[in-house]
Parts: sequence; C-alpha cells; structure tokens
Amino acid sequence: MVACGALVVAPGSDVYTPQDLAHKLVGLDYGNGTAYAGLQMLEGAVPREAITTCAASANAAERFAALQRGEFEATVLQEPYITVAAKAGCRLVSTTFFYGTWVGDPNLDPEAQAAFLRAITRAVDRVNQDKRQYFRYFLQDWAGRPEVDALVCEDFDLGRIQLKRPGPIPERDARRAWDWMVSWGVLEGSFDPARQLDNRVAAQVAARVL
Amino acid sequence: MPEVTRTLTIESVSAFNGLDVLVARDEGLFSAEGLDVQIARPRSAQRSASSAADRGTLVQPASNQGQLLDRHAADLFQG
Repeated sequence: MVACGALVVAPGSDVYTPQDLAHKLVGLDYGNGTAYAGLQMLEGAVPREAITTCAASANAAERFAALQRGEFEATVLQEPYITVAAKAGCRLVSTTFFYGTWVGDPNLDPEAQAAFLRAITRAVDRVNQDKRQYFRYFLQDWAGRPEVDALVCEDFDLGRIQLKRPGPIPERDARRAWDWMVSWGVLEGSFDPARQLDNRVAAQVAARVL
Repeated sequence: MPEVTRTLTIESVSAFNGLDVLVARDEGLFSAEGLDVQIARPRSAQRSASSAADRGTLVQPASNQGQLLDRHAADLFQG
C-alpha cells in the first residue's frame, strides 16, 4: 500500500507554500507515518531550525477539526480527510507519498505470512483494475462522520489512491530511513540489516507469478 | 477452496485505510489461502488523547504503529 500525506492549511491562512510554514506551528501525530511524512515535506522547504511542530491527535478527523479551530497553522492529513479538507476550502500546500510495509512478528509462521501477502497481492491487482469500484472501502473506517458520509467518488483525486504489490524493502532504502529517523532522535543506534530487515518471505512471494 | 487453517491478527493503521485488506477479506482472498484474518485496532485509535501532553513528543510519542505487535496482540501491521 502507498499512503498519500498532504500538508493542509485552513481556508483563511496566508500560507500558500511549505516555505511559508517556517517558524509556524504544524500539528503532527507523532509516532505515525503521517508525522514523518510531514517532517520530510517541511524539511524539503525550510531549515530544520525553522520547523516548529506540536503534538496532534493520531485521528485524522480530530486533526482536521483542530486545524479548523486554529490550534495550529497546518497539519498533515491522509485520505479521506484530504478530500474532506479540500471540499471545506482548505489548501494543500504540499503532498507526498510513502510506503506501508507489512511488518510481522518474528515468530510469525512464514507460510502464513506468504499466504497473507499472496492474498494482499491479488487484492492490490483487483483494486488497480478499477479504483472506482472499490473506493467505498476507503470510507469504511470513517463511516458515520457526516463530512465523510457526504463524499462521493467524484470528490476524490484517484491519483492520490495508489496501491502497489507488497515486495521486499531495498536495504539502501531501509538504511536511509533508519538514519533519517536517528537524525531526528526518534531512533538510536546503527542500522543492522541482519536484525532489522528480513525480506525472505516478501521476496519469495514477489518472485512468483500470481 | 482450502479450509481455514490459520488465524492471523493484523493491526489496523489508519493512514492506509486498509483498502487492500478489506478487499482481500470481503472477496474471499484470505479464505482462499486458508486464512482467517482478524483486524485489531490499537487503543490509541479508539479514543482521543485529551491534551497535547497525552500525545507525547516527537522523540517519545504516546502512540505508534505496531503497538499491538509489540504486545504480541497482533501478528502483522503495516508501517
């Protein structure tokens, strides 16, 4: 799976670019991929010392509500709240994409893991054949919230909904991500591929024609 | 179609919305592989942190992906 994260500001904000967010408060759901995506978007635009963040809810609906209340100048949202925010007149000042990688318990049966990844691979292929047919699943986690229930398929930019077959993580990418997180103090120590990366099952599944 | 022989618990991660998982579940792709997949939600996804302090810091976040796996309450998560 690939997730889209967007730096979003409220309709009345004078922020139009990520550079405009220098020294302005950005609400991030620390500990989650969207927060790291937010830091990377900001880091590409302003010096680190100009990045100013605060803890925000891990729940995208609550982050959107806090943005509307003016608790911070910007936040990072994922779908369907990117679309909710855009419909409400908010501006997207930067977007990025990041991978979700299936991480398994070290004691997970490799055959079960392989069976899971095969099923996910087939699901990815089905969705990619017709995203519109499956977009309703995208709302399922948020059902009952009026702002989400009001969305229709035509509201979405389907380019922000990207799925990729699961596969092995290139060691260089894992090392770069590790080192980047160390640079922010989120992780400590050195990257050790023997301990932190086991691509065997993912590589076996990816190599098979399904 | 094989009988279900294994149960897997996966931890839901909201950034990914579970699109691939939900399609695999509802269209019988897991059961075709002999899997019964259960979706678990971490407590932090079910309730709101009442204040910024409850949400931790960048270096010591109050919530993180993989918290159920860390407690051996899930077999897999997407992070």
